[in-house]
Amino acid sequence: MVESKAKEIKFWNLVLLGLSALSILAAVLTVASDRFKAGTDDVFLVLVCLMLALLFAVPPLMWAHANGMLKNPFADESSVEGAALEAAHGEHGGSNRDNIIVWGALLALTALEVFLAYIQINVTLMLIILMGASIIKAALIVAYFMHLKFERLSLILTIVPTIVVLLCLFSILFPDSFRLHNMRPVEPPVVHQPEHEG
Amino acid sequence: MAEARAESLAVNDWGGGVHPYRVGHRKLGMWLFIMSDTLTFAALLVAYSYARAASVNWPTPFPLYPSIAFSTTMTLVLLSSSLTMVFAVAASKQGKRGTARKWILATMVLGLTFIVLHLFEWKHLMDEGLAPFELPAKWLTEKAWPGASPLFGSTFFGITGLHMFHVLTGVIYLGVVAARIKKLNDDVEVAGLYWHFVDLVWMFVFPLIYLLSVDYHGVIKALE
Repeated sequence: MVESKAKEIKFWNLVLLGLSALSILAAVLTVASDRFKAGTDDVFLVLVCLMLALLFAVPPLMWAHANGMLKNPFADESSVEGAALEAAHGEHGGSNRDNIIVWGALLALTALEVFLAYIQINVTLMLIILMGASIIKAALIVAYFMHLKFERLSLILTIVPTIVVLLCLFSILFPDSFRLHNMRPVEPPVVHQPEHEG
Repeated sequence: MAEARAESLAVNDWGGGVHPYRVGHRKLGMWLFIMSDTLTFAALLVAYSYARAASVNWPTPFPLYPSIAFSTTMTLVLLSSSLTMVFAVAASKQGKRGTARKWILATMVLGLTFIVLHLFEWKHLMDEGLAPFELPAKWLTEKAWPGASPLFGSTFFGITGLHMFHVLTGVIYLGVVAARIKKLNDDVEVAGLYWHFVDLVWMFVFPLIYLLSVDYHGVIKALE
Protein backbone atom coordinates (compact mmCIF):
# COMPACT_ATOMS: atom_id res chain seq x y z
CA MET A 1 0.00 0.00 0.00
CA VAL A 2 2.82 2.36 0.89
CA GLU A 3 4.40 1.55 -2.45
CA SER A 4 1.25 2.39 -4.43
CA LYS A 5 1.07 5.66 -2.53
CA ALA A 6 4.65 6.46 -3.50
CA LYS A 7 3.82 5.66 -7.11
CA GLU A 8 0.82 7.95 -7.00
CA ILE A 9 2.89 10.81 -5.58
CA LYS A 10 5.52 10.27 -8.25
CA PHE A 11 2.86 10.32 -10.97
CA TRP A 12 1.27 13.59 -9.82
CA ASN A 13 4.64 15.22 -9.34
CA LEU A 14 5.53 14.35 -12.91
CA VAL A 15 2.19 15.71 -14.18
CA LEU A 16 2.74 18.96 -12.29
CA LEU A 17 6.31 19.26 -13.54
CA GLY A 18 4.96 18.75 -17.06
CA LEU A 19 2.40 21.53 -16.60
CA SER A 20 5.11 23.74 -15.19
CA ALA A 21 7.33 23.02 -18.22
CA LEU A 22 4.41 23.79 -20.55
CA SER A 23 3.91 27.15 -18.86
CA ILE A 24 7.59 27.98 -19.27
CA LEU A 25 7.34 26.89 -22.91
CA ALA A 26 4.38 29.23 -23.41
CA ALA A 27 6.44 32.08 -21.98
CA VAL A 28 9.39 31.24 -24.25
CA LEU A 29 7.16 30.99 -27.32
CA THR A 30 5.63 34.39 -26.51
CA VAL A 31 9.07 35.96 -26.35
CA ALA A 32 10.25 34.16 -29.50
CA SER A 33 7.21 35.04 -31.61
CA ASP A 34 7.34 37.81 -34.22
CA ARG A 35 4.59 39.77 -32.55
CA PHE A 36 6.58 40.22 -29.33
CA LYS A 37 7.16 43.93 -28.83
CA ALA A 38 7.89 43.94 -25.08
CA GLY A 39 4.82 46.11 -24.56
CA THR A 40 2.53 45.95 -21.54
CA ASP A 41 0.57 42.99 -22.90
CA ASP A 42 3.61 40.91 -23.82
CA VAL A 43 5.44 41.44 -20.56
CA PHE A 44 2.26 40.76 -18.66
CA LEU A 45 1.58 37.51 -20.50
CA VAL A 46 5.14 36.30 -19.93
CA LEU A 47 4.92 37.13 -16.24
CA VAL A 48 1.62 35.26 -15.88
CA CYS A 49 3.10 32.20 -17.65
CA LEU A 50 6.16 32.21 -15.40
CA MET A 51 4.02 32.59 -12.31
CA LEU A 52 1.82 29.68 -13.34
CA ALA A 53 4.98 27.64 -13.89
CA LEU A 54 6.09 28.44 -10.35
CA LEU A 55 2.67 27.58 -8.96
CA PHE A 56 2.67 24.18 -10.66
CA ALA A 57 6.22 23.55 -9.50
CA VAL A 58 5.47 24.12 -5.81
CA PRO A 59 4.33 20.56 -4.88
CA PRO A 60 7.19 18.76 -6.69
CA LEU A 61 9.73 21.17 -5.22
CA MET A 62 8.26 20.65 -1.76
CA TRP A 63 8.41 16.92 -2.27
CA ALA A 64 12.03 17.12 -3.34
CA HIS A 65 12.81 19.30 -0.35
CA ALA A 66 11.10 16.88 2.02
CA ASN A 67 13.14 14.00 0.60
CA GLY A 68 16.42 15.82 1.04
CA MET A 69 17.10 16.32 -2.65
CA LEU A 70 16.82 20.07 -2.41
CA LYS A 71 18.35 22.25 0.24
CA ASN A 72 16.74 25.58 1.03
CA PRO A 73 19.40 28.13 0.01
CA PHE A 74 17.86 30.80 2.27
CA ALA A 75 17.79 28.69 5.40
CA ASP A 76 20.03 30.04 8.14
CA GLU A 77 21.53 27.96 10.91
CA SER A 78 19.91 29.96 13.67
CA SER A 79 16.38 29.13 12.49
CA VAL A 80 16.54 25.64 13.97
CA GLU A 81 17.54 27.08 17.31
CA GLY A 82 14.82 29.72 17.01
CA ALA A 83 12.18 27.12 16.26
CA ALA A 84 13.25 25.13 19.30
CA LEU A 85 13.06 28.26 21.44
CA GLU A 86 9.60 29.07 20.13
CA ALA A 87 8.42 25.55 20.78
CA ALA A 88 9.76 25.77 24.32
CA HIS A 89 8.03 29.09 24.81
CA GLY A 90 4.72 27.40 24.16
CA GLU A 91 3.40 30.00 21.72
CA HIS A 92 4.53 31.04 18.31
CA GLY A 93 4.62 34.43 16.70
CA GLY A 94 6.21 37.82 17.05
CA SER A 95 6.46 39.68 20.31
CA ASN A 96 4.62 42.91 21.01
CA ARG A 97 7.87 44.75 20.37
CA ASP A 98 8.05 43.25 16.84
CA ASN A 99 4.47 44.27 16.19
CA ILE A 100 5.11 47.85 17.29
CA ILE A 101 8.10 47.99 14.94
CA VAL A 102 5.90 46.68 12.09
CA TRP A 103 3.29 49.31 12.95
CA GLY A 104 5.99 51.99 12.81
CA ALA A 105 7.12 50.72 9.39
CA LEU A 106 3.52 50.85 8.13
CA LEU A 107 3.18 54.43 9.37
CA ALA A 108 6.48 55.37 7.73
CA LEU A 109 5.39 53.91 4.38
CA THR A 110 2.07 55.77 4.63
CA ALA A 111 3.97 58.98 5.38
CA LEU A 112 6.13 58.36 2.30
CA GLU A 113 3.03 57.90 0.14
CA VAL A 114 1.40 61.08 1.40
CA PHE A 115 4.68 62.98 0.98
CA LEU A 116 4.86 61.85 -2.67
CA ALA A 117 1.30 63.04 -3.18
CA TYR A 118 2.29 66.35 -1.59
CA ILE A 119 5.31 67.08 -3.81
CA GLN A 120 3.38 66.02 -6.95
CA ILE A 121 5.40 63.73 -9.20
CA ASN A 122 4.67 62.14 -12.57
CA VAL A 123 1.47 60.07 -12.37
CA THR A 124 2.91 56.83 -13.80
CA LEU A 125 5.91 56.92 -11.48
CA MET A 126 3.57 57.79 -8.62
CA LEU A 127 1.34 54.81 -9.41
CA ILE A 128 4.30 52.42 -9.50
CA ILE A 129 5.73 53.67 -6.19
CA LEU A 130 2.31 53.68 -4.52
CA MET A 131 1.53 50.14 -5.61
CA GLY A 132 4.98 48.97 -4.55
CA ALA A 133 4.59 50.56 -1.12
CA SER A 134 1.07 49.13 -0.78
CA ILE A 135 2.25 45.63 -1.61
CA ILE A 136 5.03 45.91 1.00
CA LYS A 137 2.46 47.14 3.53
CA ALA A 138 0.08 44.31 2.68
CA ALA A 139 2.90 41.78 3.04
CA LEU A 140 3.85 43.20 6.46
CA ILE A 141 0.24 43.06 7.67
CA VAL A 142 -0.28 39.51 6.42
CA ALA A 143 3.06 38.22 7.72
CA TYR A 144 3.08 39.79 11.19
CA PHE A 145 -0.38 41.06 12.15
CA MET A 146 -2.21 38.15 10.53
CA HIS A 147 0.50 35.81 11.76
CA LEU A 148 0.92 33.99 8.46
CA LYS A 149 4.72 34.00 8.81
CA PHE A 150 4.40 31.78 11.84
CA GLU A 151 1.90 29.33 10.36
CA ARG A 152 2.68 25.95 8.86
CA LEU A 153 4.33 26.17 5.45
CA SER A 154 1.52 24.21 3.80
CA LEU A 155 -1.00 26.93 4.76
CA ILE A 156 1.26 29.69 3.45
CA LEU A 157 1.80 27.84 0.17
CA THR A 158 -1.93 27.26 -0.20
CA ILE A 159 -2.90 30.89 0.30
CA VAL A 160 -0.19 33.15 -1.07
CA PRO A 161 0.64 31.76 -4.56
CA THR A 162 -3.06 31.17 -5.30
CA ILE A 163 -4.01 34.74 -4.49
CA VAL A 164 -1.05 36.21 -6.39
CA VAL A 165 -1.80 34.24 -9.55
CA LEU A 166 -5.53 34.96 -9.35
CA LEU A 167 -4.88 38.68 -8.94
CA CYS A 168 -2.63 38.61 -12.01
CA LEU A 169 -5.29 36.79 -13.99
CA PHE A 170 -7.80 39.43 -12.87
CA SER A 171 -5.83 42.20 -14.48
CA ILE A 172 -5.01 40.29 -17.66
CA LEU A 173 -7.50 42.38 -19.65
CA PHE A 174 -6.34 45.61 -18.08
CA PRO A 175 -4.10 46.81 -20.98
CA ASP A 176 -7.30 46.97 -23.08
CA SER A 177 -8.38 50.04 -21.15
CA PHE A 178 -5.62 52.11 -22.82
CA ARG A 179 -6.74 51.03 -26.28
CA LEU A 180 -10.40 51.68 -25.48
CA HIS A 181 -9.46 55.29 -24.85
CA ASN A 182 -8.23 55.67 -28.43
CA MET A 183 -11.05 53.70 -29.98
CA ARG A 184 -13.86 55.79 -28.58
CA PRO A 185 -13.53 59.46 -29.50
CA VAL A 186 -15.88 61.87 -27.70
CA GLU A 187 -15.65 64.54 -30.37
CA PRO A 188 -16.29 63.79 -34.03
CA PRO A 189 -12.99 62.78 -35.61
CA VAL A 190 -11.18 65.63 -37.32
CA VAL A 191 -10.84 65.00 -41.03
CA HIS A 192 -7.57 66.34 -42.38
CA GLN A 193 -8.01 68.19 -45.65
CA PRO A 194 -5.31 67.52 -48.19
CA GLU A 195 -3.08 70.58 -48.33
CA HIS A 196 -3.10 72.71 -51.43
CA GLU A 197 0.12 72.68 -53.33
CA GLY A 198 1.90 75.76 -54.54
CA MET B 1 1.81 0.79 11.37
CA ALA B 2 -1.04 3.11 10.46
CA GLU B 3 -0.12 5.35 13.35
CA ALA B 4 3.50 5.41 12.32
CA ARG B 5 2.48 6.44 8.83
CA ALA B 6 0.24 9.24 10.09
CA GLU B 7 3.15 10.40 12.23
CA SER B 8 5.56 10.49 9.29
CA LEU B 9 3.02 12.39 7.20
CA ALA B 10 2.49 14.97 9.92
CA VAL B 11 6.21 15.68 10.19
CA ASN B 12 6.47 16.48 6.51
CA ASP B 13 5.23 20.01 5.81
CA TRP B 14 3.63 19.12 2.52
CA GLY B 15 2.54 15.60 3.32
CA GLY B 16 -1.02 16.29 4.38
CA GLY B 17 -1.92 14.02 7.28
CA VAL B 18 -4.82 14.46 9.67
CA HIS B 19 -4.27 18.20 10.17
CA PRO B 20 -2.76 19.37 6.90
CA TYR B 21 -2.66 23.03 7.93
CA ARG B 22 -2.39 22.61 11.68
CA VAL B 23 -5.01 25.30 12.35
CA GLY B 24 -8.50 25.09 13.77
CA HIS B 25 -11.55 24.96 11.55
CA ARG B 26 -12.58 28.51 12.43
CA LYS B 27 -9.23 29.92 11.46
CA LEU B 28 -9.11 27.96 8.21
CA GLY B 29 -12.64 29.11 7.39
CA MET B 30 -11.68 32.73 8.03
CA TRP B 31 -8.63 32.39 5.77
CA LEU B 32 -10.81 30.99 2.99
CA PHE B 33 -13.28 33.85 3.46
CA ILE B 34 -10.42 36.35 3.34
CA MET B 35 -9.20 34.82 0.07
CA SER B 36 -12.61 35.19 -1.53
CA ASP B 37 -13.05 38.70 -0.15
CA THR B 38 -9.63 39.64 -1.54
CA LEU B 39 -10.95 38.75 -4.97
CA THR B 40 -14.12 40.82 -4.43
CA PHE B 41 -12.12 43.94 -3.60
CA ALA B 42 -9.56 43.21 -6.31
CA ALA B 43 -12.37 42.99 -8.88
CA LEU B 44 -13.72 46.37 -7.75
CA LEU B 45 -10.30 48.02 -7.78
CA VAL B 46 -9.41 46.58 -11.18
CA ALA B 47 -12.78 47.76 -12.54
CA TYR B 48 -12.12 51.21 -11.10
CA SER B 49 -8.63 51.39 -12.63
CA TYR B 50 -9.98 50.13 -15.95
CA ALA B 51 -12.78 52.71 -16.02
CA ARG B 52 -10.35 55.45 -15.08
CA ALA B 53 -7.71 54.54 -17.69
CA ALA B 54 -10.36 54.15 -20.40
CA SER B 55 -12.05 57.48 -19.67
CA VAL B 56 -11.34 60.68 -21.54
CA ASN B 57 -11.25 62.65 -18.33
CA TRP B 58 -11.39 61.69 -14.71
CA PRO B 59 -12.05 64.10 -11.83
CA THR B 60 -9.24 64.61 -9.32
CA PRO B 61 -11.26 66.43 -6.69
CA PHE B 62 -9.36 65.84 -3.43
CA PRO B 63 -7.49 68.94 -2.21
CA LEU B 64 -4.56 68.34 0.16
CA TYR B 65 -6.64 70.06 2.78
CA PRO B 66 -9.16 68.92 3.93
CA SER B 67 -9.66 65.70 1.89
CA ILE B 68 -6.14 64.22 1.90
CA ALA B 69 -5.47 65.34 5.49
CA PHE B 70 -8.75 63.69 6.47
CA SER B 71 -8.10 60.41 4.69
CA THR B 72 -4.53 60.27 6.03
CA THR B 73 -5.92 60.60 9.54
CA MET B 74 -8.36 57.79 8.75
CA THR B 75 -5.42 55.63 7.61
CA LEU B 76 -3.56 56.32 10.86
CA VAL B 77 -6.67 55.44 12.88
CA LEU B 78 -7.15 52.17 11.03
CA LEU B 79 -3.46 51.19 11.30
CA SER B 80 -3.53 51.92 15.02
CA SER B 81 -6.69 49.84 15.41
CA SER B 82 -4.75 46.93 13.91
CA LEU B 83 -2.08 47.37 16.58
CA THR B 84 -4.64 47.37 19.40
CA MET B 85 -6.15 44.22 17.86
CA VAL B 86 -2.71 42.56 17.88
CA PHE B 87 -2.48 43.38 21.60
CA ALA B 88 -5.95 41.92 22.15
CA VAL B 89 -4.96 38.66 20.45
CA ALA B 90 -1.69 38.49 22.43
CA ALA B 91 -3.54 39.07 25.72
CA SER B 92 -6.16 36.46 24.91
CA LYS B 93 -3.45 33.91 24.09
CA GLN B 94 -1.92 34.48 27.51
CA GLY B 95 -5.33 33.86 29.03
CA LYS B 96 -5.81 37.47 30.17
CA ARG B 97 -9.40 37.80 29.02
CA GLY B 98 -10.11 41.10 30.80
CA THR B 99 -7.12 42.78 29.15
CA ALA B 100 -8.10 41.27 25.80
CA ARG B 101 -11.59 42.72 26.17
CA LYS B 102 -10.18 46.20 26.87
CA TRP B 103 -7.99 46.09 23.77
CA ILE B 104 -10.93 44.88 21.69
CA LEU B 105 -13.01 47.81 22.94
CA ALA B 106 -10.17 50.17 21.98
CA THR B 107 -10.17 48.61 18.50
CA MET B 108 -13.93 49.12 18.22
CA VAL B 109 -13.61 52.79 19.24
CA LEU B 110 -10.94 53.33 16.57
CA GLY B 111 -13.10 51.53 13.99
CA LEU B 112 -16.07 53.73 14.81
CA THR B 113 -13.82 56.82 14.59
CA PHE B 114 -12.85 55.70 11.11
CA ILE B 115 -16.50 55.34 10.08
CA VAL B 116 -17.46 58.77 11.48
CA LEU B 117 -14.54 60.48 9.73
CA HIS B 118 -15.41 58.72 6.50
CA LEU B 119 -19.06 59.77 6.72
CA PHE B 120 -17.93 63.39 7.13
CA GLU B 121 -15.94 62.97 3.94
CA TRP B 122 -18.94 61.46 2.16
CA LYS B 123 -21.25 64.23 3.34
CA HIS B 124 -18.80 66.84 2.10
CA LEU B 125 -18.81 65.28 -1.40
CA MET B 126 -22.58 64.79 -1.44
CA ASP B 127 -23.05 68.46 -0.53
CA GLU B 128 -21.00 69.32 -3.59
CA GLY B 129 -23.57 67.38 -5.62
CA LEU B 130 -21.73 64.09 -6.17
CA ALA B 131 -24.03 61.08 -6.56
CA PRO B 132 -23.29 57.45 -7.52
CA PHE B 133 -24.13 58.07 -11.19
CA GLU B 134 -23.81 61.80 -11.49
CA LEU B 135 -21.05 64.37 -11.20
CA PRO B 136 -21.72 67.86 -9.86
CA ALA B 137 -22.58 70.09 -12.84
CA LYS B 138 -19.78 72.54 -12.06
CA TRP B 139 -17.20 69.73 -12.21
CA LEU B 140 -17.97 69.32 -15.90
CA THR B 141 -17.30 72.95 -16.83
CA GLU B 142 -14.26 74.02 -18.84
CA LYS B 143 -12.41 75.18 -15.72
CA ALA B 144 -12.68 71.73 -14.12
CA TRP B 145 -12.88 68.33 -15.85
CA PRO B 146 -14.91 68.58 -19.08
CA GLY B 147 -16.20 65.27 -20.38
CA ALA B 148 -15.32 63.50 -17.12
CA SER B 149 -16.84 60.07 -16.58
CA PRO B 150 -19.81 59.85 -14.18
CA LEU B 151 -18.34 56.48 -13.16
CA PHE B 152 -16.24 58.47 -10.70
CA GLY B 153 -19.19 58.59 -8.31
CA SER B 154 -20.14 54.93 -8.62
CA THR B 155 -16.57 53.67 -8.17
CA PHE B 156 -15.92 56.05 -5.27
CA PHE B 157 -19.10 55.25 -3.36
CA GLY B 158 -19.01 51.58 -4.35
CA ILE B 159 -15.48 50.86 -3.19
CA THR B 160 -15.34 53.07 -0.11
CA GLY B 161 -18.92 52.06 0.75
CA LEU B 162 -18.17 48.34 0.64
CA HIS B 163 -15.06 48.94 2.71
CA MET B 164 -17.01 50.99 5.25
CA PHE B 165 -19.57 48.19 5.42
CA HIS B 166 -16.73 45.79 6.22
CA VAL B 167 -15.50 48.07 9.00
CA LEU B 168 -19.03 48.31 10.42
CA THR B 169 -19.43 44.52 10.26
CA GLY B 170 -16.05 44.18 11.95
CA VAL B 171 -17.07 46.48 14.80
CA ILE B 172 -20.24 44.43 15.38
CA TYR B 173 -18.26 41.17 15.15
CA LEU B 174 -15.73 42.48 17.70
CA GLY B 175 -18.59 43.61 19.93
CA VAL B 176 -20.02 40.08 19.98
CA VAL B 177 -16.57 38.59 20.65
CA ALA B 178 -15.92 41.09 23.48
CA ALA B 179 -19.32 40.37 25.06
CA ARG B 180 -18.88 36.59 24.99
CA ILE B 181 -15.13 36.51 25.59
CA LYS B 182 -15.38 34.24 28.66
CA LYS B 183 -16.99 31.46 26.60
CA LEU B 184 -14.72 31.66 23.57
CA ASN B 185 -11.37 30.15 22.72
CA ASP B 186 -9.69 31.11 19.45
CA ASP B 187 -12.38 33.55 18.35
CA VAL B 188 -10.34 36.62 19.30
CA GLU B 189 -7.57 35.50 16.97
CA VAL B 190 -10.02 34.75 14.14
CA ALA B 191 -11.75 38.13 14.59
CA GLY B 192 -8.28 39.67 14.51
CA LEU B 193 -7.62 38.08 11.11
CA TYR B 194 -10.79 39.69 9.78
CA TRP B 195 -9.93 43.07 11.25
CA HIS B 196 -6.39 43.09 9.82
CA PHE B 197 -7.79 42.16 6.43
CA VAL B 198 -10.11 45.19 6.49
CA ASP B 199 -7.05 47.30 7.35
CA LEU B 200 -5.11 45.69 4.49
CA VAL B 201 -7.81 46.53 1.95
CA TRP B 202 -7.67 50.18 2.98
CA MET B 203 -3.93 50.15 2.24
CA PHE B 204 -4.91 49.76 -1.43
CA VAL B 205 -8.07 51.88 -1.44
CA PHE B 206 -6.36 54.91 0.13
CA PRO B 207 -3.58 55.35 -2.48
CA LEU B 208 -5.69 54.34 -5.49
CA ILE B 209 -8.76 56.42 -4.70
CA TYR B 210 -7.34 59.35 -2.76
CA LEU B 211 -3.62 59.85 -3.39
CA LEU B 212 -3.98 59.48 -7.16
CA SER B 213 -6.81 62.02 -7.29
CA VAL B 214 -5.19 65.00 -5.60
CA ASP B 215 -6.51 68.36 -6.76
CA TYR B 216 -3.16 70.09 -7.34
CA HIS B 217 -4.50 73.05 -9.28
CA GLY B 218 -7.02 74.20 -6.70
CA VAL B 219 -9.94 73.47 -9.06
CA ILE B 220 -12.42 72.74 -6.29
CA LYS B 221 -11.52 75.97 -4.52
CA ALA B 222 -11.79 77.98 -7.74
CA LEU B 223 -15.25 76.55 -8.39
CA GLU B 224 -16.66 77.81 -5.12
